Amino acid sequence: MKKIKKILHSADGSAYYFIFPSIILLLVFNVIPLVFSFVLSFCNANMTLDHVDFAGISNFTKAFTDSRFLNSLKVTALFAVIEVPIQTFGAMIIAAMINKNTAGNKFFRAVYFLPVICSATAIGIMWKMILHSNVGFFTYMIQMAGMGRINYFNDPKITLFVVAFISIWRSFGISAIVYVTAIQNVSSSIYEAAEIDGANKLQQFINVTVPSIRPTFWYILMTRLAGSLQIFDIVYMTTGGGPNFTTESTVTYVYTRAFSANSEMGYASAMSFVLFVMIMIITVLLYRRMNAED
Amino acid sequence: MKKKVLSVLMSAAMVMSALTGCGSSSSGSAANAAESKAEEKSEEKNEVTESKDTEETATEDAATEVKPVTVKFWNSFTGSDGDKLVELVNKFNDENKDGITVEMDISSNLDEQLSSAFAAGEGPALLLFSSASRFTYGDYMQSMNDIFDKTSLDKNDFIESYVDYCSEDGETYLIPFQIVSFYLYWNKDLFEAAGLDPEKGPQTWDEYVEYSKAITDASKNIYGSGLCYAYNYQMAHVIQRFGDLAVTKDDSGKWAANFEGNTGYAKFLDMYKGLVDSGDNPLTDDTDSMMTAGQLGMTINGPWLSSGMDTAGINYGITTVPTGDAGAMNSVEVLGFSVTTVATDEEKAAAYKFIEWWNTMDADGNCPALTWSLENGCPAYLKSLIENEQYQANAKVMAMTNKDTSVRSDFITSSAFPGVGQIINDVLPQITQPVLFDGKPAEDVLKDAQTLADDIVSKYN
Repeated sequence: MKKIKKILHSADGSAYYFIFPSIILLLVFNVIPLVFSFVLSFCNANMTLDHVDFAGISNFTKAFTDSRFLNSLKVTALFAVIEVPIQTFGAMIIAAMINKNTAGNKFFRAVYFLPVICSATAIGIMWKMILHSNVGFFTYMIQMAGMGRINYFNDPKITLFVVAFISIWRSFGISAIVYVTAIQNVSSSIYEAAEIDGANKLQQFINVTVPSIRPTFWYILMTRLAGSLQIFDIVYMTTGGGPNFTTESTVTYVYTRAFSANSEMGYASAMSFVLFVMIMIITVLLYRRMNAED
Repeated sequence: MKKKVLSVLMSAAMVMSALTGCGSSSSGSAANAAESKAEEKSEEKNEVTESKDTEETATEDAATEVKPVTVKFWNSFTGSDGDKLVELVNKFNDENKDGITVEMDISSNLDEQLSSAFAAGEGPALLLFSSASRFTYGDYMQSMNDIFDKTSLDKNDFIESYVDYCSEDGETYLIPFQIVSFYLYWNKDLFEAAGLDPEKGPQTWDEYVEYSKAITDASKNIYGSGLCYAYNYQMAHVIQRFGDLAVTKDDSGKWAANFEGNTGYAKFLDMYKGLVDSGDNPLTDDTDSMMTAGQLGMTINGPWLSSGMDTAGINYGITTVPTGDAGAMNSVEVLGFSVTTVATDEEKAAAYKFIEWWNTMDADGNCPALTWSLENGCPAYLKSLIENEQYQANAKVMAMTNKDTSVRSDFITSSAFPGVGQIINDVLPQITQPVLFDGKPAEDVLKDAQTLADDIVSKYN
């Protein structure tokens, strides 16, 4: 106890006072829920938690024999494969095009960023109306252009791509703005040197910009990957997981199991934990790869 | 105590970590207003009661005596009907002479709110939700059998099948508040354009298919039929007409699923697939927008569709869903008032007063239940309301009213089956969507559905 007091009263120890609120928030909103969620995954529990029975690993074994859960993992992986490359590479290219502080570029940055501040509910409803299979504005325009009527939300072959597009549209701005900031921090002397060496704009981008913003690239890659593996709101608002479960992501299915009739909180927690472990493994691998590059 | 703390923490854990991405609860605006008003009223009424106390005799029935009390009342009426509910609750708070303040909280996430509250031993005294919620919150609901003894409400005035729907083993857990069923809507202008009688909707499913073909005009994006695969409740109301209940009790008194070999269900699936393949029914997850845009000849939906149709200026008719091979039935869900175990005796008595007020005609011939029914387009659950002049003059609610009150009221499963929600949300999509999208034969799909349903049913046997 004296030792702790001594540390707290030292100059270095005072730092603990400053991080104390953050530690409390981290514990209350992250660590404790995570631990209890893990405990809950070994139980059979309903929504009100008044009937909690220990179930061993049965929720986990059930998850891996549940065709809907396995399908949701497949859907989530597919979604990530579509979304993440576009977010990481597409945003980088766009950022390179709008990184100079001209009035036009500032306008485009604002336009790209606008969806980020909109709620997923509003975005979902808006796109659902625009792309409605029969009364949607975009559907109508495409039909008028002689391209036939496309059933964006009811065709198992394309609906996942449509959902991914909406998700990209929604969060593309934040990736682009982060890249813009990174690109603006690259020293202009490197570009000048490259120009003297005869490098054109594309070569400058590939050989100067990309290597210089690599930490930002890894950051975008990791956060977008983790985010896309947790996709819920856009799916919930646009397709609800349909048609024929082709857009039912893991978190959407977890929500269904937890809060629909005959709530299965224990099972939902077990599935959440499986997803958590997967995201953690992928993130750690990416992190190690990033550090190895450094 | 430890158990309670554990429950609260676990509840927090679920909401915060397992379910990231879920929206937070948004309480109705009435809650705060009601809270401050409740405090004011409580103070005023306390004064009034103090002076009255000496005058009142002790001979009053203790059960019906209501002291100034605040009743927490939770529900999820977040739509425009919620505004009406706020208005009526405020009216009760202003008018009642018993010092009762109903403090209402409208939440779009009622389930999440309830699970946390009940786990902590808290929550509302009065709830308004679906009768099926008793399968989730049954442990927190009080029997309300005594309401007919302690108030002026007459049990015989309630349509029996609706009270049965809210009861189990002779105990009534909810008092009906709203009857929710689905109805057949038809666009009169499109009927006329197709040479059909605009004043008469289809009476049978053969007529429904026939009319659909007549109305469809692909060049104008107009479809005759508006069945929607993603609308599980619509599917449930329709499929029940073809193959009756999906879960019933067998001869041994055990729950049994009725999917495999159900020729009625197979007939419906073939009909639906036929309508989609022929282009008479759009393959869409949203028929409401199309109906209100005047692009659908017919659809099946709840009473809420009518307000959208009125706003859009659609010339439409409403009738009950055509009877199929399963015979006459009244497939409904009953929403009702429920007094929770959290309620004290005083709160319970006050809640009873509120329910009594809701269902009682005043001297001017007005009754909140009647107002609610007429303004929200819901059929009445009180026999006296059905005979009321104002009610009978409203063509819309009369078209929705099942005149034969003796017909059984079950929705997709026997009303006592606790797994009804799972049948609707987990099994029905697994029979409609594989037929539509994968082209699987109806018989095969029903066989798979039987396996799924058997698994659900086994939990309750």
